[in-house]
Amino acid sequence: MALKDIKTKIQATERTHKVTRAMEAVSAVKMRKTQGVALAGRPYARAALQVLARLSGSADLARHPLTAVRDIRHVALVILTSDKGLAGALNSGVIAAAAEAALPYATDAVTVYAYGRKGEEYFARRGYRVARAFENKKDAVEISVMEELSTELGRAFAGGTYDEVLVAYSNFKSTFEQVPTIRRLLPLTLPGITRLIEDIVPEKGKWSDLRAIESVPAYSIEPDGGEVLATLAPRLTAISLYHLLLEAKASEHSARMVAMKNASDKSKEVAHDLTRLFNKIRQAAITREVSEIVGGREALAI
Amino acid sequence: MMKTFHLTVARVGENLFDGEALSASLPGSEGVFEVLAGHEAFVSLLAEGEMRLRAADGETFHFEIPAGGIAEVSGNQATILL
Repeated sequence: MALKDIKTKIQATERTHKVTRAMEAVSAVKMRKTQGVALAGRPYARAALQVLARLSGSADLARHPLTAVRDIRHVALVILTSDKGLAGALNSGVIAAAAEAALPYATDAVTVYAYGRKGEEYFARRGYRVARAFENKKDAVEISVMEELSTELGRAFAGGTYDEVLVAYSNFKSTFEQVPTIRRLLPLTLPGITRLIEDIVPEKGKWSDLRAIESVPAYSIEPDGGEVLATLAPRLTAISLYHLLLEAKASEHSARMVAMKNASDKSKEVAHDLTRLFNKIRQAAITREVSEIVGGREALAI
Repeated sequence: MMKTFHLTVARVGENLFDGEALSASLPGSEGVFEVLAGHEAFVSLLAEGEMRLRAADGETFHFEIPAGGIAEVSGNQATILL
């Protein structure tokens, strides 16, 4: 490689480094914000789920349309990914998990609801029906958006259009660990709710003590069980979905920050190695020239 | 000394109150009711209105309930979700 080429390459690598470092800084700020929101939302989601879990002892729950367990023929798959890439293995992990969940069913038995372009592109390309596609641009998502989606899903589920609603998202564990997860949103079942509650208990801090869910048999319910569930079940579906989205957001920004940090470190390393190579080649050329001069001089001196 | 119970009041994305309380007055869908320590296991829908609660240290709080909610009481603890 000529000296000039190496120099150009060093400059290009340094420019890349500047860009990735800037993106790392931006992601770090967004990460802190979204992590805060996701963590702040956990107590509410947990409390709401616990109320439902306690109520599940009553016979009213089994009668509610959102809890009906049927043979699964038609599935709705909600996929929460990011719009943009450069987030490491985050989206590919979620998409792979979603694809695996869709595998047992025929292509026309699965309907995709994509929140985020990456998931939409993948499933649209493979011939799945994408019923709704949302852009995943803003970080501050109103719960009303998720309420709208969950109402739509709930109505379709109650009407028998879908027999199961699954959500593929990335569960936020820590800045360095996000786990692609599939969760069943509908039908609402006690084991499903219990698992979700267990998953949203933070590892330490004030919410980490898990109060056992004991089903209280003698609840007095006002106005009556059916009506409480009619309010609680759809609301809970929306809250669950919203909560999963918050987790996905926190995961996205954490993954992107880590990916950008790795890229920055790597570009620094590459620039360093290239500088080495540049100096070595330059020194070799100087040495050669000097020895040529010395050799010529010696030849003349005789 | 009045008995206290554990009370959690939460809204999506924010915790309004979490701690020991002496009493809470809530607008139930069937009328206003009051929760004290040792209340029976109870679930109620909340109507729009205003809730008032008295913390263990005697301090009082007012919260607006803009769009209803749900209250759950069991085993000397109460959860109110707005």
